[in-house]
Amino acid sequence: MAKKKEVTRRQFLNYSLTGVGGFMAAGMLMPMVRFAIDPLLKEGAKQEFVPVMDTSEITNKPVRKEFKIDQVDGWYESEVTQSAWVYKDEKDEIVALSPVCKHLGCTVDWASNAAYPDQFYCPCHGGRYTKDGVNVKGTPPLAPLDVYNKKVEDGKLYLGKPEPR
Amino acid sequence: MKWTESDIALFEKEKEYVDTAVLPLVPISMTSSLKTTVSMGEYISIISSELERQLKGRLLLLPAFTYLSSEEQETTKNRLKKVEEELKLGGIQHIISLTADVNWKQVEDQVSSALLWMPAIPLEHMDEQYKMETVSAQVKQVLQFVTNTWQSNINS
Repeated sequence: MAKKKEVTRRQFLNYSLTGVGGFMAAGMLMPMVRFAIDPLLKEGAKQEFVPVMDTSEITNKPVRKEFKIDQVDGWYESEVTQSAWVYKDEKDEIVALSPVCKHLGCTVDWASNAAYPDQFYCPCHGGRYTKDGVNVKGTPPLAPLDVYNKKVEDGKLYLGKPEPR
Repeated sequence: MKWTESDIALFEKEKEYVDTAVLPLVPISMTSSLKTTVSMGEYISIISSELERQLKGRLLLLPAFTYLSSEEQETTKNRLKKVEEELKLGGIQHIISLTADVNWKQVEDQVSSALLWMPAIPLEHMDEQYKMETVSAQVKQVLQFVTNTWQSNINS
């Protein structure tokens, strides 16, 4: 009975060879597969949300909030300051607009020009936007302000990337 | 706009809209009061890059105008004048020089650029939040100065 369970020399060699061979093949293939699917795995990390402010602080009046994001520029990684104009619209929904003027990229300011108290005003070339970020006809900008991707979690407002409309 | 290829391409395309240059005046010294000299340069470069971010569409941020702290004031001034001439030839109407070096105050009226001197605030030991607030408060006032320069040009 004991004889039946014994492993022959041939079997033993077969097992150990497939075992070792399998390890070696896996060792070679794993990194290759990992390299191949790496871009897919990374995608998720790109769209990062940054906490900006408590939702309770948000009112009807746009306020400028500054926050920092990591930006990789070729081989140079740096912290970049970004701003957003945050307010609640008539339907009580939070709106976060990018302050970058669609004309040449200056930073627009809310109600900074006494003549237009209810508009975003660009100090560079007098571009104007209404409160919802739409450009006023006849001023230099040709598109409405970008809108930030946003989400609310635990009473905090998180902002992602600005998207053009 | 910054002094980079991509921004300059935009500058050449939209030249009529960009009429202002920002020139940081930065002293260099390796032998005397090294730290003060460095902090002047650092502070001014922070302020000027923040200014560029806010008014990107109308101003061009030039690489810093550097000079030795030990250099004769007369020579430095003349060199700055040459740079100003060059910028004017390039179609720039307003030149704003930013500096933390108080010596420039003495020759302020002899140069054609709008010279703005501000004392360097040591940011070294501040925490991040406070640093940002300090800089943005300071930049806000510089912005005022720049927009005033534009305004006075329209009226004149």
